Amino acid sequence: MQASANTDHGEASAPLAGILAEFDGPGALKKAATRVRDAGFTRWDCYSPFPVHGIDPAMGVRPTILPWIILGMGLTGLTIATVLQWWTNGVDYPFLISGKPLFGLPANIPIMFELTILLSAFGAFFGSLILNDLPRFYRPIFSSKRFRKVTDNGFFIGIDANDPQFDPNKIKTLFADMGTMGVEEFYDHDNRAALPRPIFRVGMILFLLGLIPLAFAVKSRHSTSSQPRWHFWRDMDFQPVVRAQRASAFFPDGRALRPQVEGTLAREQADKDPHLNQGKVNGKLVTTFPKAVLPLSMEMMVRGRDRFNTYCAPCHGRDGKGKGLVATRASSLGEGTWVPPSNLTDARIAKMPVGEIYQTIRYGVRNMPKYGPQIEVRDRWAIVAYIRALQRSQNASIKDVPEADRGKLK
Amino acid sequence: MTNELSRVDFLADDPTQRAPLVSPDLEFKDVTQTVCEVAEKPKPPKAWYVAFGISLALTGMLFSMIAYLIIAGVGVWGNNSPAFWGFPIVNFVFWVGIGHAGTLISAILFLFRQKWRTSINRFAEAMTIFAVVCAGLFPGIHVGRVWFAYWLFPIPNQMEMWPNFRSPLLWDVFAVGTYATVSLLFWYFGMIPDLASLRDRAKGKIGKLLYGIFSLGWSGSARHWHRYERAYLILAALATPLVLSVHSVVSFDFAVAQLPGWHATILPPYFVAGAIFSGFAMVVTLMLPARLFFGLQKIVTMRHIENMNKVILATGMMVGYSYAMEFFISWYSGAPAERFVFINRAFGNYAWAYWIMVSCNVLIPQLFWFKKLRRNPWVIMFVVLFVNVGMWFERFVIAVTSLTRDFTPASWGYFSPTWIDIGMLVGSFGLFFTLFLLFLRFLPIVAISEVKGVMPQAHGHHEEGH
Amino acid sequence: MNHPNPEVVLNDDRHLGPLGPKILRTMGGLGLLLLIVGLILGITGTEGGMSRFLFAYTTGFAFILSIALGAMFFVLVNHLTRAGWCASSRRIAEITLGTMPILAVLFLPILVSVLMGYGGLFSWADHGIASKDHLIHLKAGYLNPVFFAIRWVIYFAIWIQLSKYYLGNSLRQDDSGDPALTSRMQKWSALSTLLFALTLTFASFDLLMSLDPHWFSTIFGVYYFAGSVIAFQAFGILAMVLLQRKGKLEKSVSIEHFHDWGKLLFAFVFFWGYIAYSQFMLIWYANIPEETGWFHVRITGSWGGVALILVFAHFVIPFAGLMSRHAKRNLASLSFWAMWMLIMHCIDLYWVVMPNQGGHGHGSESIPGVHFQAVDLLAILGLFSLFVAGVAYVGRHCSLVAIKEPRLAESLAFENV
Repeated sequence: MQASANTDHGEASAPLAGILAEFDGPGALKKAATRVRDAGFTRWDCYSPFPVHGIDPAMGVRPTILPWIILGMGLTGLTIATVLQWWTNGVDYPFLISGKPLFGLPANIPIMFELTILLSAFGAFFGSLILNDLPRFYRPIFSSKRFRKVTDNGFFIGIDANDPQFDPNKIKTLFADMGTMGVEEFYDHDNRAALPRPIFRVGMILFLLGLIPLAFAVKSRHSTSSQPRWHFWRDMDFQPVVRAQRASAFFPDGRALRPQVEGTLAREQADKDPHLNQGKVNGKLVTTFPKAVLPLSMEMMVRGRDRFNTYCAPCHGRDGKGKGLVATRASSLGEGTWVPPSNLTDARIAKMPVGEIYQTIRYGVRNMPKYGPQIEVRDRWAIVAYIRALQRSQNASIKDVPEADRGKLK
Repeated sequence: MTNELSRVDFLADDPTQRAPLVSPDLEFKDVTQTVCEVAEKPKPPKAWYVAFGISLALTGMLFSMIAYLIIAGVGVWGNNSPAFWGFPIVNFVFWVGIGHAGTLISAILFLFRQKWRTSINRFAEAMTIFAVVCAGLFPGIHVGRVWFAYWLFPIPNQMEMWPNFRSPLLWDVFAVGTYATVSLLFWYFGMIPDLASLRDRAKGKIGKLLYGIFSLGWSGSARHWHRYERAYLILAALATPLVLSVHSVVSFDFAVAQLPGWHATILPPYFVAGAIFSGFAMVVTLMLPARLFFGLQKIVTMRHIENMNKVILATGMMVGYSYAMEFFISWYSGAPAERFVFINRAFGNYAWAYWIMVSCNVLIPQLFWFKKLRRNPWVIMFVVLFVNVGMWFERFVIAVTSLTRDFTPASWGYFSPTWIDIGMLVGSFGLFFTLFLLFLRFLPIVAISEVKGVMPQAHGHHEEGH
Repeated sequence: MNHPNPEVVLNDDRHLGPLGPKILRTMGGLGLLLLIVGLILGITGTEGGMSRFLFAYTTGFAFILSIALGAMFFVLVNHLTRAGWCASSRRIAEITLGTMPILAVLFLPILVSVLMGYGGLFSWADHGIASKDHLIHLKAGYLNPVFFAIRWVIYFAIWIQLSKYYLGNSLRQDDSGDPALTSRMQKWSALSTLLFALTLTFASFDLLMSLDPHWFSTIFGVYYFAGSVIAFQAFGILAMVLLQRKGKLEKSVSIEHFHDWGKLLFAFVFFWGYIAYSQFMLIWYANIPEETGWFHVRITGSWGGVALILVFAHFVIPFAGLMSRHAKRNLASLSFWAMWMLIMHCIDLYWVVMPNQGGHGHGSESIPGVHFQAVDLLAILGLFSLFVAGVAYVGRHCSLVAIKEPRLAESLAFENV
């Protein structure tokens, strides 16, 4: 080709890749672009430091399909978010939180929205890069020194050599006719730089080093060890708590449970009415109701029933026979750890001193937690009274019913 | 120069014509030169070194404290019953808020065709990224056992459990994650043509290589510009609802609760307005000295600063409106707990914080009603610094006063920060400024191609004129 | 950019001419007729009686007021931002805003009912109800007839003043062409916007929120604001399309301007969705009895159906429909969506107002369904007709384009990228 005679670049062997012309500003560029378009070229482009307003119609560029890609990505994001939330919280691992539906729009909209935006943004970013064939670090046009002005104040038109109408002389005449500031040929040197050695080496070393933890992980997945696991974070693995039946290393006397400080009283030691408050007098469980709640009134029995149905009935049942809803459900699950609640109406408990029932309510027993913090003193005694009533009513015979009322039973 | 610039300012007030957005004596190549020069100078100004040294030291302090926190546990903070949300959440909301100005300038003002944004958007977007980095740090370390932070994400795990998607805290993970990602893409996407400018001017090998890699081989092709502009417009359109959503979701963290003072329906827009308010204040705080140090007065004119000040005034009024609505409705609701909480805010234990907040956010910005004052650099600096302080206190007031005065007087308390709390707050500024100063040093700090696009020459006026 | 000469507008048909009196007569007559029939139905026959009529009247009034307030926002925000694109179409907003004195007259029935202590509309206005209700009693400092009247006098004083100022100065500029008028309007726009925000908020509290005196929501003012802007954008688009059909404004308002009006409509459809979602989600999520009752009534039974209609037809469908550039640049589709949004906004207000009727609002055991009645339609359409007549009355003598607006040339040359 004639172009190979050009020795400006000193590399005569490089094939001609196209012809470049510079124009004086966006207005001239637009006019020139219109003429290049009208001349029927197809493989050509304008180059400018900023998007020139109105260049697209001048060049005959058709609108991009990018918006559709973005719409598609956005709908994908919406679908992913919907399915993800519905499946994880509604199907695979359903759990109730503050009475909210497992899956329902109000609480699931934010994430649907965010993922729609996220994927649309990916669509816009990566979609436009892919459509623009970026990144591509080498282009023949970059071999022109003059072309470096394109990111500063240069406005260029480049016609590629693979255009069907490519004819260097004609093109140069055309450009000259348009009042170009300069025409240049550019060559495909194909001098893509290889990755510089040091960068390659460092990258390789980092890559190999990165494999080491992976190798360890793989090894430990497939082997056993008698050693305890590694404690990367000590945090809660070793807590300075006192263990049962062990000496404390913290206190010099080795006792974990501290003796009473001299000159102080525990709250219970200051109790003026242990009969009422503790159901115990001088270490003995009381067998009678404390004076403060006597005489037992109907009002108190009703109160006792109310408290009993609130706090006790879920396990012990409304009749006290240990068949409450919780107990029934727990036994149906058949877990070994469940201790069935006592039948409060059986003989063992009927013989218990009231003080013991009182203490059970207050401090709990076996698996039953303490209800002291939730039920106040008088209510505890009311419950005790109601239990006594249950014990009688549930074990009642016809003799317990007053003669006058027996007729009604039939 | 001053004459040309003051002519621009004068024209801005004349309704019969539109003033040029940058100094009218600039040519395309001056814009490239002015901006690229900042990154190309072999040595930055001395002030840069001083600032960078201090910031780096503070960053070091921040990360040492984080290490201490991880080893010792979150007990090193002042967070304790009843104020389980203390400084970390306040700092998180503060930094996320700062970030919002960047997206607002780059996306919303773009959609509103506010072309003056081109001089400042890059700067503000960078600020967004770094602010979001600082923000993301705090919830990350607030989870306590950071090595389980992956539980935040819906990844199949050995417990066969999934996170609770109905929780606002998980919405936060997605909102802030999306926000950080999209802001980063937006920032980088806008920077590609300008990185190409730096590539084409680079003298050194490293510069050529790195700018070359990050400019992705940009050639300024019109076919590329076409898709690029379309993508940029759509990214802006996506970022606009996103920026609304992020701070709304942050506000949901508070507002879905039943706690008086947190549960208010106005919180989402109120947080968004507050975020933009604080973000603009931060942009002005950074821009005012930067334009002097790096000689950008012709590109970032006083008119840009004034416009930002107007936005600060406007959003400050919105924040004031929200304070007023909360106060009025708390009375109007007739609910005793609601009424108490707001009276307590203003006259209770934390009245000092409340009045700092009100004076910094509502009273002091009123100075910007006056043209003279909103153009005086000293007054501007005074106002925006106080706004920064005030907006931090706003989040403090919201988080702490409500938590320490909830429904049960038995669980009332008083929150006091520890030295770690304060150190981390200061350290987060160190991290922010470290990143920001690196940006100032190595990247195009003004959107070169966008500024060129709004200059009068870009429309071919000059050529056709003669 | 070559700015076309604003003189082209001078050749444009930019006066209502005989159309003005025609609209005034037909719409005014129709409006009065509908209202009178509605009133008669209210007094005599229909279920709910006078109370029903007043509720329907309040819906209609909130609707037309929102259009006028939306117009105020349009004027103010464009002055505030020194916008140029809207210079050729801003007069439509100024004329719509000019109806404020007429709205003040139309407000009188509501005001009279309150001052008479009638509890069928605002239950708090009835001393008998208010004294028995603890919550209303606590709010009596605000919710009482006298203070209500004082507030509305203040609102209308401010609105009328603003409408006179902005319409008046703009008309004065038609004669003098003095750019200083524009500067002055810009200067006052900031303060005016502040007044606008406060008056709109409290007006929405008074007119709509206090219909259920127990309920409260801090965002309610913003909710009404979002609806107002939608209403006005839709109303303005329809007005300009209809005017162009009659051969007016053909050269002054181009597809580029419609596109921007459409963009604002689209943006506020989204904004409304955002605000409505924030209000609903937060109340739904916290689920505290003080607030949740208001929504409970409105999302259960047939009102729940209306709520779903709002979710889809007020937000999702128009959002999707208006998203595309082509939908906003095609006058047929744009006016379709404008009409759609105007109706939706009206349904939104109906949904806010009507469930309160008959004391079925907050905290009542039984939840009423939608009982649509003829009187509802009569009152709403009647008021809307009167409003259109009012717009024609204000605009009957003035130019429909601000002919000497300094940025008119810029506006005419404006192109969407």
